[in-house]
Amino acid sequence: MEPGLLKSADWPLLIDVYFFLGGIAGGAFVIATIANLLDRQRYRDVVRVGYYIALLAVLPGAIFLIVDLGLPTRFLHMIMVAKPSTEIGMDAITVGPFHLKPLSPMNAGAWALLGFSFFAFLAALDVFREDRGGRSMGALRALAGIIGSGFGFFLAAYPGVLLGATARPLFINAHWLGALFLAVGGSTGAAAIALVLSLMGGEQREALSRLMRFTAFALVVQAAALILFIVAVSSAGSAGLSKALAGLLSGPYSLTFWLGAVVVGLALPLVLQFAGAIKRTTPGMAALVSLLVLVGGFIVKYVIIAAGQAT
Amino acid sequence: MARTLAMFTDVSLCIGCRACQVACKQWNQLAPEEPEWTGSYQNHPHFTDKSYRLVRFFEEPDDKVGIRWHMMSDVCKHCAQAGCLEACPTGAIYRTDYGTVNINQDICNGCRYCVSACPFGVVAFNHDTGTATKCTFCNDRIHNGLGPACAKACPTESIRFGFRDELADKARKRVEELRKMGYKDAQLYGEDQNGPLGGLNAFFLLLSKPSIYGLPEKPKLPQRNVFVDSLLSIGAAVAVGLGAVVAFRGRGVREDS
Repeated sequence: MEPGLLKSADWPLLIDVYFFLGGIAGGAFVIATIANLLDRQRYRDVVRVGYYIALLAVLPGAIFLIVDLGLPTRFLHMIMVAKPSTEIGMDAITVGPFHLKPLSPMNAGAWALLGFSFFAFLAALDVFREDRGGRSMGALRALAGIIGSGFGFFLAAYPGVLLGATARPLFINAHWLGALFLAVGGSTGAAAIALVLSLMGGEQREALSRLMRFTAFALVVQAAALILFIVAVSSAGSAGLSKALAGLLSGPYSLTFWLGAVVVGLALPLVLQFAGAIKRTTPGMAALVSLLVLVGGFIVKYVIIAAGQAT
Repeated sequence: MARTLAMFTDVSLCIGCRACQVACKQWNQLAPEEPEWTGSYQNHPHFTDKSYRLVRFFEEPDDKVGIRWHMMSDVCKHCAQAGCLEACPTGAIYRTDYGTVNINQDICNGCRYCVSACPFGVVAFNHDTGTATKCTFCNDRIHNGLGPACAKACPTESIRFGFRDELADKARKRVEELRKMGYKDAQLYGEDQNGPLGGLNAFFLLLSKPSIYGLPEKPKLPQRNVFVDSLLSIGAAVAVGLGAVVAFRGRGVREDS
């Protein structure tokens, strides 16, 4: 196939930023929920910071998505139109003016964004009440956390599945992009919480140490998904594909990929962690590892999207 | 649903006059564009938001005659399983009662997902209207008993319009004829409803293999990936979730402060 004949959506950097923020929001929400369920008192700061980050990260993301539309005033069409057409997809479910298209990750993602925002708002509100000296709605917060975590995972992963459902040569045989984006969501979500905690001061050693432990684990999943993605694309064959992959691994995007996504985003933080950041976490070390993970997490998403859109 | 309509483009009859391209522009009132030099008579290199029909010119190296020259009037394939239609989050892209694929300009919000989901690079984004556009199969004409403007204008009947089943019969006969005449590579592209994408409602007769015409040998519906990719994502979610539980559970790594 001549990849040059295919067209690209030419999504700008704004969309990469949304994918990045959505991953952080989903990851931070899931971590806060798990910490909340396991020991609410002990991990109080992880829960608070996690839920606040989830809400603060998802809100601008939604705005970026709307701004990028050709006709931003029609953003609601993502989930509803006044007079829907009858045949809009093999799997489409239409209820009144609303439509759900499970095979269209962008439509499903819009619904997930809505659902996630709702539960992220509930959780953040509850944490806020507690911060103000009020009482937490314990069971309700737990429930919002559990349901919201489903949406959170979805929010982190769906952009990868969305890319995989395009005709772009780098994406159509990738298969692991959803898994990769989910792992990046986990690592960057934990890193965002750890960065805030390390800057907040106070006794955060245990929380930071556990966050670092989780981050290291998420980075290993991230590395595995990245390798599997490259293997899947390279084993699919065809000239167009090898050209697309070469663009990422040895072509114009290779420096960003190897230096940003691999060295800064994976190798350095993992080395630092196994050299001591997990066992003896200092706020400075945690902040450094978190920054590396956040920068690398953005770059890995950015560079894959850029290489996929260009070739 | 009404009987499925189709367009059949027979490249063996194409003379590269581009009357189809002009007729399409006129009927659909598509604005003029800056010409682009492509190294051949072809203009533009790809479909644009203002060129729904596009005559492509290809050169194929040949041992006997040096170079074989191919002309093909390309258009939206109106796939039976359409990547753009499945991708569209708004439901703006729909299937008409004639089986063709159309974009409702009143619903499209310009997300451009369809642009990257088309296996043939057909759908284009119009920066003036902020919406995605492509060949409409002359939706207004076919609903008023007329064929598409391109088929009407074609002087050699390289582009034919009609009911899909009848056209497919004609196409199969034509390809036999050509093979008897010595065009051993003559083949139909997209006529088979059991083939890739469930068949194309704008199908082609080619004189050489599809890649010579810049067409994918086996176009794939991108949405086929959603199921597997989602399963792999769920697997990663389970791993990451368990990782978080393990990291936050059990005895503290609390050190004396």
